[in-house]
Amino acid sequence: MHQQKGIWSTGGFRRIMRGPRFIKSRETKTPQLKYGVSSMIQSQEKPDRVLIRIKDLTVEKADEVVWVRGRIHTSRAKGKQCFLVLRQQQFNIQALVAVGQHASKQMVKFAANINKESIVDVEGVVRKAHQKIGGCTQQDVELHVQRIYVISLAEPRLPLQLDDAVRPEVEGEEDGRATVNQDTRLDNRVIDLRTSTSQAIFCLQSGICQLFRETLIHKGFVEIQTPKIISAASEGGANVFTVSYFKSSAYLAQSPQLYKQMCICADFEKVFCIGPVFRAEDSNTHRHLTEFVGLDIEMAFNYHYHEVVDEIADTLVQIFKGLQERFQTEIQTVNKQFPCEPFKFLEPTLRLEYREAVAMLREAGVEMGDEEDLRYLGSTKMCQSLVKVVYDTDFYILDKYPLAVRPFYTMPDPVNPKNSNSYDMFMRGEEILSGAQRIHDPQLLTERAQHHGIDLEKIKAYIDSFRFGAPPHAGGGIGLERVTMLYLGLHNVRQTSMFPRDPKRLTP
Amino acid sequence: MIQTPDADFDVTNIIQTDECSPLTTNGADLDLMLGKDYGALKDIVINANPSLPPLSLLVLHSLLCERYKILSAVHTHSSVKSVPENLLKCFGEQTKKQPRHEYQLGFTLIWKDVPKPQMKFSIQTMCPIEGEGNIARFLFSLLGQKYNAVTSTLIDSWVDTAIFQLKEGSSKEKGAVLRSMNAALGKTPWLVGNELTVADIVAWCALQQTDSANAAPANVQKWMKSCENLAPFTSVMKLLK
Repeated sequence: MHQQKGIWSTGGFRRIMRGPRFIKSRETKTPQLKYGVSSMIQSQEKPDRVLIRIKDLTVEKADEVVWVRGRIHTSRAKGKQCFLVLRQQQFNIQALVAVGQHASKQMVKFAANINKESIVDVEGVVRKAHQKIGGCTQQDVELHVQRIYVISLAEPRLPLQLDDAVRPEVEGEEDGRATVNQDTRLDNRVIDLRTSTSQAIFCLQSGICQLFRETLIHKGFVEIQTPKIISAASEGGANVFTVSYFKSSAYLAQSPQLYKQMCICADFEKVFCIGPVFRAEDSNTHRHLTEFVGLDIEMAFNYHYHEVVDEIADTLVQIFKGLQERFQTEIQTVNKQFPCEPFKFLEPTLRLEYREAVAMLREAGVEMGDEEDLRYLGSTKMCQSLVKVVYDTDFYILDKYPLAVRPFYTMPDPVNPKNSNSYDMFMRGEEILSGAQRIHDPQLLTERAQHHGIDLEKIKAYIDSFRFGAPPHAGGGIGLERVTMLYLGLHNVRQTSMFPRDPKRLTP
Repeated sequence: MIQTPDADFDVTNIIQTDECSPLTTNGADLDLMLGKDYGALKDIVINANPSLPPLSLLVLHSLLCERYKILSAVHTHSSVKSVPENLLKCFGEQTKKQPRHEYQLGFTLIWKDVPKPQMKFSIQTMCPIEGEGNIARFLFSLLGQKYNAVTSTLIDSWVDTAIFQLKEGSSKEKGAVLRSMNAALGKTPWLVGNELTVADIVAWCALQQTDSANAAPANVQKWMKSCENLAPFTSVMKLLK
């Protein structure tokens, strides 16, 4: 028989995967077949066909014939009919293959047996649904299938079921319905990321980056790129990854700190950068990763570092407002699986002094010294609940930390030498940003480094950058994954990192 | 003779012979009134709905600023889409040049989606206080004036009358209040005795927020002018323009 070339040829037969669920049809040899496995798309041709997005299949398209590409989310045969749910990212629609004018019995059987997650091209008529289809995002319409072809077949046994992966974890399951544990998800990340919750989380994360950039560019900042292979550990020797560098070794940058500051000394005035940060911290907690994305800001100021604090706080507020306005669908999708209170904040941002937090905690019965670090006492959550009761905000700043608990390059307070010009910002009681006015005087910097017992040889290049006129400056950085996690009220930073890295995980 | 529907006794003579004690001027009183000093700024936090600004609290804020070194702040809560410019600037231009702990008191106003104004306090754990009248009484008490039992009860009574009958009452109730006010103001320059009290502040603000201001009787009109001549009322006058 004349071999048909083109997308519907029988040539694809030979590469079909084995598996009990796939049924070959005798009718695939005839021309104009209405169903089957298509040959692998190797860019053989450019058909004149428009594929409509499932998200756009609404009552407005009723009675139109459309082509759609999606995944088989579920399939269920019932006598002469087969019900499919076709999924495309966060959206899905019910599709019906019924014996009749367009479909034969064999076609219905074929459709019912396509492995889940396979990608299919479907031609069908959009019909108004008699009743709302509760299980789908497109509730008012369904697709009556005229043609269905498998574009990419999935293996029959999936490592995890998507419906299990979006099920909320409930205490004391009544009928023991399964959920999927974190390690299984992370081991099969590609499939886990297909769930509507994951799609929503990472769309929102993309939005955070976009809003960060938009806001800062609008404020006149310049985006910079800083090196990640560096010669000296910036934050202290302990938590740094070493890499072999030709005949010697180098380190992976723990933060863009040094280079942000050098850009200020090089007269860029207001800079930001978005890039990976590497911390070799052997912490297996809900909020630590060994590699994460840092969103960093540095700014020269005129007379007072509060000029910078106000800008950073405003940037974050603009991000929160932008998410509230433009990403409600994503927030609601995540809330379905992980319910939480919406994120609240004040504009302008609430800024309390460190001593006020200490006073609030003492009044609530916590015993602490004036120079103790809140974080080490595990008191940040308590502080948040006190602040929340009075001001009803999930985001606030604590200003003027004790000098003793800050890095060596932090500028001391001009009036009280025990304090510093430093600040932390908190979301839902967890610290998301640690920043300060930096010491821009090489002599003072040297003194403070010596006080901290740091080897001056190791930081010579750093100190040198301030020798030829350095503007007063301040800044801070946030972690993208942590901010996403806290904004959505999630509890583990691995949920908001696409391919997370921690002391126990290096793949995928 | 004061005509009040529920009066049990005639206090006319008692009021006229009353004198309030002189204002004391040092900040140590604040500790007495607000509780132990934990070494940080005591912040009074008021949540109010921008669609119903609590004007009397703004007048009281100005009064407090005359007496104490106050750090004032206005915030918008994320539950509210937008707040008109004049409400954001209701405290005027604030010079925040000093560190927080060098102020005696904080006054933080948050425009938020709340049904009634509510007040919370940063250092002491206490239930929030709700209602413009109650908050107004608290703020006025920070000025440290002392009254005898009868006078303070009368003041309280006028505050309630102003909020529940003048501001929120039917037109019949409003009419009745205006007549009582007119009668009282025929005998004394202020609603209670010879000095401005929180009763005058709350009543004047309530009048501004009803339509009856222009139709008020003669003594009331005169008294309104006296209020307007006082400095603490100017910020609210600006808001109302």
